Amino acid sequence: MNKIVHMGQLVPLSKEMKLFELIDGYPQLLSIFSRLNIVLPFGDVSVEAMCQREGLDADLFMMLCNMHLDPDYRPADRSLRAEMLAGVVAYLRSSHGYYTTYMLPHVAQHLERVLEHCDALSQRVLRSFYDDYVGFLASHFEEEERDIFSIIDNMSTTLDALFSMLEAPHGDIDDRTNDIASLVIKSLPEGVPTPLRCSLLDHIYMLRDDLRRHSAVEMSLLRPLVAKYQKSVER
Amino acid sequence: MKRLKVAIIEPSLIVAEGIEAVVRRLADYDVVLNVRTVAEYHLRRCADVDVAFVALSHAHEELGAVQKIGIQTSLTEPDVVRGVSTIVSLYSTEEEIVKALGEGVDTPTTTNFSDSHELSERERDVLVLVAKGYTNKEIASELFISPHTVISHRKNIVHKTGIRSVAGLTVYAVLNKLIDSEQL
Repeated sequence: MNKIVHMGQLVPLSKEMKLFELIDGYPQLLSIFSRLNIVLPFGDVSVEAMCQREGLDADLFMMLCNMHLDPDYRPADRSLRAEMLAGVVAYLRSSHGYYTTYMLPHVAQHLERVLEHCDALSQRVLRSFYDDYVGFLASHFEEEERDIFSIIDNMSTTLDALFSMLEAPHGDIDDRTNDIASLVIKSLPEGVPTPLRCSLLDHIYMLRDDLRRHSAVEMSLLRPLVAKYQKSVER
Repeated sequence: MKRLKVAIIEPSLIVAEGIEAVVRRLADYDVVLNVRTVAEYHLRRCADVDVAFVALSHAHEELGAVQKIGIQTSLTEPDVVRGVSTIVSLYSTEEEIVKALGEGVDTPTTTNFSDSHELSERERDVLVLVAKGYTNKEIASELFISPHTVISHRKNIVHKTGIRSVAGLTVYAVLNKLIDSEQL
């Protein structure tokens, strides 16, 4: 469980704490605010009040924060409610947008700075490799939004079929992201200045870790919520 | 000796925790992953795993270049499963689990990764043909070796380069001047 210093004591994150405490304790959560398009400043409000104002489920927001901070965090089944499903799908959709409009172009910028120090052939193959990777991710996101999320919206398939679709391609994404890191570490020409190389690697690993958390939200939040939602509809 | 990385894929938490406790007592092994399903294994795999304890009910599923040790939790489960080098049961002693680990990593299909990350001449030959889009069978025929040996070389190449995709290996081959772009 992620904890934070509150009134001089280490306590678990909670929706009752002030928004400032949450951000000040874990600035890395700001990317969730970007994804959910939450506009700051909010004054001295609690997380719960902020969620209410933004139309977000505060319990779900706390789960997303905890999962973002700790890749091994799994929300307890009893704390999941079928009504959270729409919020998770909205979060995953907006995460796709965050990758395509922010994170991937950011890595590309750092890659370009590195490529300035490479020969023409290296530039061409690396640029093309990264473009393919971006295309691969974009088509994965599109497919997920078209097939999986729309199926969830309409609930027109069996859970087994839905779950196998959710599971299928994520190992490939991780492998391909690692491939880029391996190439940068092991094969980039020696002339590339170390700070540029390290900065590019930082962003690649940030992207990889974020994509892993994204997959974890799909596996450990979306899946059980779909099951709960379907049960609630059948009743 | 290189410490070997062990994964445990077992739906029963109690069984998985028991195996992990035994393996953690051994000097030459690290448990790097303990998960309930193969899907979770693929999702969370962050280190190259050498050997995996896997529930017999999941043992037929693809784990990549990893030696599998089956976990038999029921007497009705088969004693022989394709792709599983050896089996441990709920009644195995610590010695039997150690022995299974030894057999798991010493079977003929195991790749003995060299500590050197330089590719051997043969591995470079295989890499170039992979980059050119040859299949394992075509590479075997071109280099007069068995497809099994090609697979073994490919495992070594992946381990040494840290690159799994064919596209990534192609870029590696170009950047390391093993191939020029006109050959692609």
